[in-house]
Amino acid sequence: MILDAQGIEMSYGALKVLHGVSLQVSESETFAIIGPNGAGKSTLFKVLTGERMTSAGTVRYRGEDLTKLPAFRRARIGFGRTFQVARIFGEVDLMTNVVISIEARLRYSGQSPGAWWRWTPAADVRLEAEEILERFGFPRSRWSDDAQYLSHGDRKRLEFCIALATRPDILMLDEPMAGMSPSDRKEMTKLLMRLKAETGITIVMTEHDMDIIFEMADRLMVLSYGEVIAIGDPEKVRDDPTVRKVYLGQGYQHA
Amino acid sequence: MNRIASIALLLLFAAFLFAPYLVNPGLVFIAGFAMIEIVFALSWNLLFSYAGLVSFGHAAFFGIGAYVAAATLRYGYDIHFILVLLICAVLGAVGAFLVALIVLRRASGIQFSVLTLALSQLVVVLIGYSDYFGHDEGISAIPRPVMNFGLFTVDLNRPLANYYFVLFVCLVAVGLMWLLVKGHLGRAMQAVRIDSERAEFIGIDAWRIRVFAFTISGAFAAVAGALLAPWGQIVTPEYVNWLHSAQPIFATLLGGAGFFWGPVVGIVGLSALNYFTRTFTGLSEVLVGASLIAVVLVAPQGILGTLRQLAKRRKGPVKGGHA
Ligand SMILES: Nc1ncnc2c1ncn2[C@@H]1O[C@H](COP(=O)(O)OP(=O)(O)OP(=O)(O)O)[C@@H](O)[C@H]1O
Ligand SMILES: [Mg+2]
Repeated sequence: MILDAQGIEMSYGALKVLHGVSLQVSESETFAIIGPNGAGKSTLFKVLTGERMTSAGTVRYRGEDLTKLPAFRRARIGFGRTFQVARIFGEVDLMTNVVISIEARLRYSGQSPGAWWRWTPAADVRLEAEEILERFGFPRSRWSDDAQYLSHGDRKRLEFCIALATRPDILMLDEPMAGMSPSDRKEMTKLLMRLKAETGITIVMTEHDMDIIFEMADRLMVLSYGEVIAIGDPEKVRDDPTVRKVYLGQGYQHA
Repeated sequence: MNRIASIALLLLFAAFLFAPYLVNPGLVFIAGFAMIEIVFALSWNLLFSYAGLVSFGHAAFFGIGAYVAAATLRYGYDIHFILVLLICAVLGAVGAFLVALIVLRRASGIQFSVLTLALSQLVVVLIGYSDYFGHDEGISAIPRPVMNFGLFTVDLNRPLANYYFVLFVCLVAVGLMWLLVKGHLGRAMQAVRIDSERAEFIGIDAWRIRVFAFTISGAFAAVAGALLAPWGQIVTPEYVNWLHSAQPIFATLLGGAGFFWGPVVGIVGLSALNYFTRTFTGLSEVLVGASLIAVVLVAPQGILGTLRQLAKRRKGPVKGGHA
């Protein structure tokens, strides 16, 4: 069990958003969370990654209790994440975005990103950044562009690069394909599947596009008003009558 | 950094390098002050443009260096002046570290800025009570040290040696700061400034990076202060006061925020303004104010930012383009 969350509760002021959510994710699994807008998916992500602390419940990672651990510590032990609205380092170029992430990994894993007075990234850091950028479809000609001028889909892709550069064991993706063109989605799905096959990385994701869910997810959880209403095999969950009523009934036919 | 800006900076460097052979001693004296203020302003900008912290009380760290160096020289402690500089750096770092430890736990935004201001004004008040530091009059008639380096001695009573010593220490300080911000720690600082939450999700402890940046910045501000003692030969609470804390802010805005070299251009501009208006009391303040308003209204990216924009416009729109 790589991730084990039990009885997670979370409120924004008086508004209670999560009512005792529990989930377990095994190693190398792709675990999807769906639910209508405002169900609490992003909030659950915040709690799991340490952006917010739960008011009740526990979060365990490979048996280790990290309920009270701040985000940066979770990142150091193997969490990577992307945001629903992509967050990148806008004022520096694409290369630097990825370099920052690789250097952070080296700095906090007992390796060294190079001497403090080296004014360019170490050669191996640069090489690794180049590989990642190339792999995610950024040609060499764009590496020195300012990241803030990227299109929405490109921001999402760059955020992937940043998240993957820390070599996480578990990748938390909050609507990774939202706002991407259909062809970009296909491309991205393929990239993720290949990444999984190569590294065995665990993925926890939310997504509104059911085609992607059914293509990628090993297990599926449905959240509604902060409660788990179904969890399990995607096909079974799809056929669950309650789920059809609250979510798939309206959403899936349109998709 | 575009070509015009690089050439301008090189010319400035050449001007400082040859100043004693080009201009009269009065101007050389001003050039020395300007170099010291450049180090001070760069130490502030390291914090602002890289770690994203705005200190309103940076003159306190400058003051630590200035007063410790002044007291050591004035009261005749026999300590090698290079060692004095290093001690000042350590004291500035320790002072800044303690402030960061107290203040940054809770706030890094405007509350942080205001608290730094409050603490620095507290230092001004404390100096006012201190016999040792000369109350409001400060420490004057500071003797210039003679440094023995074994193979040679450097006597700061000789004008040329005095000037080139300040130049040398400033170059070392600027070089060290440049290396730091261009290295991986500088990039981590930038990550924290741009989006501290994103930075935390790749494992960067934003708080520690900020404390680190503040500590280093305090050290360099103190070194600048320590240089002032033998150069100006008088140290007063004015150097610790909020008006002096504002100097690097003005310089950075004028020169261009977000650039390492912005404050250099800014300080040279401010020094020139002061120099050309020296005979009219009050005029320099008015002009400094007016030029700041002009910069904010007409060229909010400062001189370097405007130069970069002009260069870009000539080359056409930025590659990539907006979505
Ligand atoms: N920072 C916040 N402060 C107050 N309320 C919030 C905050 N963020 C979210 N909420 C509320 O919490 C509830 C759950 O929001 P959340 O973003 O977790 O939903 P979601 O399932 O991710 O929705 P979507 O599919 O639209 O992304 C919503 O009612 C939302 O309005
Ligand atoms: Mg959401």
